[in-house]
Amino acid sequence: MRGSLVFTALSEENIMDIKKKLPNGVLKFLSGYQVKSEDIITYANTDMTLEGEFARGYIILTQNKLIILRSEPDKSEVYQFKGYGSKNELDIRSEKKWAAKYISIKEIDRLEVIRSISGGVLYYSEKKEGLESGPDIQLASFTNMMIGAVLHIVKLFSILKEKGELTEDSIKMEEKEEYCPKCGSMYPDKERKICPKCMDKKSIFLRILLYFKPFIPKIIIMILCYIVTAGLNLIWPYMSGKILYDKILSQNAEFLESLGIPGINYIIALGLVVLVMFLTRITIQVLGIIQGVMTATIVPKVIMKMKSQVFQTMGELSISFFNSRQTGGLMTRVLRDAERVTGFFIDGIPYLIINIFTIIATAIVMFQMNWKLALAALIFVPIIFTISFKMMPKLWHFYGRRHRAERSMNSRLNDNLTGARVVKAFGQQDSELKRFDKNNQRVRSAEMSLVNFDNKFFALYVIFENIAMIMVWGFGSYLLLNQSHMELGILITFTGYVQQLNGPLDFMSYAFRWFSDSMNSAQRMFEIIDAIPEIREKPDAVRMNTMEGNIELKDVTFGYEPHKPVLKKINLKIEAGKMLGIVGRSGAGKSTLVNLISRLYDPQEGEIYIDGINIKDIAFKDLRRNVAMVSQDTYIFMGTVAENIAYANPEASFDKIVEAAVLASAHDFICKMPEGYDTVIGSAGRNLSGGEKQRISIARAILADPKILILDEATASVDTETEKAIQASINFLVKDRTTISIAHRLSTLRDADRLVVIDNGEITEEGTHNELVEQKGVYYKLKELQTKALAMRGID
Amino acid sequence: MKKNDNNKLIDNTAEDEFNLEKMEKETEEMLKLRFLTKENSVFARTEGGFVSLKIGDEFYKRVLVYRVFPFTNPEGYISIREPDEKAKEIGIIKDLRNDVTKETREMLEEQMRLRYFTPVIEKIIDIKDEYGFAYFDVVTDHGPCRFTIHMGGSSVVYLSDTRLMITDLDGNRFEIPDITHLSAHELRKLDLFL
Ligand SMILES: Nc1ncnc2c1ncn2[C@@H]1O[C@H](COP(=O)(O)OP(=O)(O)O)[C@@H](O)[C@H]1O
Ligand SMILES: [Mg+2]
Repeated sequence: MRGSLVFTALSEENIMDIKKKLPNGVLKFLSGYQVKSEDIITYANTDMTLEGEFARGYIILTQNKLIILRSEPDKSEVYQFKGYGSKNELDIRSEKKWAAKYISIKEIDRLEVIRSISGGVLYYSEKKEGLESGPDIQLASFTNMMIGAVLHIVKLFSILKEKGELTEDSIKMEEKEEYCPKCGSMYPDKERKICPKCMDKKSIFLRILLYFKPFIPKIIIMILCYIVTAGLNLIWPYMSGKILYDKILSQNAEFLESLGIPGINYIIALGLVVLVMFLTRITIQVLGIIQGVMTATIVPKVIMKMKSQVFQTMGELSISFFNSRQTGGLMTRVLRDAERVTGFFIDGIPYLIINIFTIIATAIVMFQMNWKLALAALIFVPIIFTISFKMMPKLWHFYGRRHRAERSMNSRLNDNLTGARVVKAFGQQDSELKRFDKNNQRVRSAEMSLVNFDNKFFALYVIFENIAMIMVWGFGSYLLLNQSHMELGILITFTGYVQQLNGPLDFMSYAFRWFSDSMNSAQRMFEIIDAIPEIREKPDAVRMNTMEGNIELKDVTFGYEPHKPVLKKINLKIEAGKMLGIVGRSGAGKSTLVNLISRLYDPQEGEIYIDGINIKDIAFKDLRRNVAMVSQDTYIFMGTVAENIAYANPEASFDKIVEAAVLASAHDFICKMPEGYDTVIGSAGRNLSGGEKQRISIARAILADPKILILDEATASVDTETEKAIQASINFLVKDRTTISIAHRLSTLRDADRLVVIDNGEITEEGTHNELVEQKGVYYKLKELQTKALAMRGID
Repeated sequence: MKKNDNNKLIDNTAEDEFNLEKMEKETEEMLKLRFLTKENSVFARTEGGFVSLKIGDEFYKRVLVYRVFPFTNPEGYISIREPDEKAKEIGIIKDLRNDVTKETREMLEEQMRLRYFTPVIEKIIDIKDEYGFAYFDVVTDHGPCRFTIHMGGSSVVYLSDTRLMITDLDGNRFEIPDITHLSAHELRKLDLFL
């Protein structure tokens, strides 16, 4: 039956592909054993020996053979893992010596992978006469980087064995890794095509600038203000130095004539100078006010846009995003980041522009007045800027470190707040305190090294400023004494300029630090904004105002981690208005199944349809409105009882809310609380018992009035009496709805139209209660056990 | 229906007639640990590179070997399990050093070498942190490696005050057994995570 294997011909393109990828040395080696490159269906790299050393190897599937190539471990070779390396250097020195093992596909009975922590082992067993197969034999071992490709080969093999042939579609595997088109390095996350290497600080900077684009006219006004301010700032020392001393106080007649003041009146001239100086100050103040107004209109809008973008993506991101990150104060952290970023752009950059402009203009004027003195005063500026630039990466590093320390402290703090009762119950305050202290110390040491570094930075600038001042005084006095054309006024003006430079320079020292901090925050913010939610609404999603509630699952395979399926090829059909009961031991995948139906996750293979429409195509809004879940871990958010009940429908009237609570048998205990429906519950509010929470979530589902209702052990944490009450409200609730009910107690599923038993991610039994009892399988066993247990305890 | 497990010779499948006594026995079994020693069990290498186990009249063609305390007690409490997906426990070896023969110990350690494969970082050449990821360039006891981790999550975990476990994007593990043995230069590179 399995004797003849038929293969569809591989297209030219496919062959080219394989040739391109398998190194020539390997192809040559294979051809020495009569394996032609066009016979090769696909292959996978391996990177370990069976003894647990790194070594290159291949698993190659050909038309009729499985070929395992191994090389000797080579400790001089660098092994690159996911995220490292670029496309160009991907392929391996192929001049290795290969040891090969050839197995005819016909001889293989089973081909499987055992997963280990950091990879897996491929093994097979031979076909033998009779029922038994031969012993399991290890073939190759590899790290997690390769496991996808190996599993693909295993899958192709099983299709081959089952169907006898492979279609081109099944051969094709998703492009394993993707690479940055710019620098060619591997994306760490191919869903999120961002190359951390190309995404440098400059592009983060430009990206933030985009947020300011809508405000260009205002920003132009602001910049004009800066320039004028900076120009006026220049006039001040000039007036108070050169003009006042050298021209007026020294009674320079020429100068007065050039001003056109009649009769060489020094008093008028003095008055004029004072007036000009006064006006300069006033203008600077007025310009400052204009800038302030502009800033006040721009900043809040920019911050708002950033925050709303962050929250929008955060809302769309599925649970797994948060699983992979410490969530300690995620919200506050994001908010603070947004403020830090805009803070720099609005308060920092304008001053930066003013200051740079001031420095440049001052330098020009100084050089024109006396280039020697100017040189003496400014010679250190380029040096200090170079040093600052060199120190930037370090600063960046320090800010990042402080941030991480803070975050881990926050999450520890969070843990302790939420778990306060457990901590106390087990008398662990002291050890928790110690652990917290450790984190706290980490924050402190990070902060200390940052401050230390900051101080060095700042000291550098202060030293420079003082040196510059001494140089000007010293060198200036020397010039004054030795050179006739050097005047006292010029020296005074110069010292004025040097002093005036102190402000901008101090600021620059701060700006470097500020810039690092803000870019660091921006990076974290963009990290979230850029995260692509795994569950996305299609742009042309189907609107479904009404649903009937037919559900169909076709060959659904899903696992929380790639290549570790929790559900395997589930096929299931539920008719509208019917009730399906799901039974199975804990960890079997029941909750996972309903999570897929409410689209908290997407299946890796297979499709789910509601009323014949793929749920991936249904608009989120309609899906959420029509599918409600009462789950084993109920989610109570911070708010009043009424708000919690009206979660899906915030506009619900008091009537509706109370009605829903009554039907969920929650009304009674709610009324007994002093603030009734206005009692604040959730993290900081009043604590509810497990059963009370569950009843509130049932009320929530009743109010939402969904077409599809999912009950995931909805009565798991209530006593028998309450369960009876809730059961009654559930019986009311399931009317006219498609219901999926997961329960441990089979009595809860009495009314189910159909039952399935899930074990190890597969549906093992299916049918009505009576049919399943007849089958005498797991369901029967469970039922007997429960009735006997109850009988023994004298209940029921 | 479930595939029948073809690695197991003894029969204790659930499909037979309901029997409360038997079930209670099973439950009781589940609540008890069975300790394996050189007196009651015989391990042997298989031709395929695995290990088989014989306890009295039970025979397992292939068994899985797990550590119960992989970090804190790697040589104690070795759990021997059936090789199917459920991986039901057959028994536990309480102390690998004393309870079994030297050969058995070696062959079980061989099995665990692949399962707990964790290169030990001996030298840090470079760590670069860029946009939410950190790129490691290190030398391990298995040769030079370059790998990438997420900065955000819990990719770097302290197993003790000085012992670090680093998990890369794919879930491959690397270990630094004692950070105090690193040079000041290397520590500075690792500074981000300390
Ligand atoms: N968020 C998750 N990440 C990884 N594994 C998970 C997650 N949730 C559940 N699992 C695993 O998936 C399996 C099925 O879980 P679940 O569907 O919750 O079982 P149950 O039938 O008890 O509801 C379990 O082995 C569980 O450990
Ligand atoms: Mg569950």
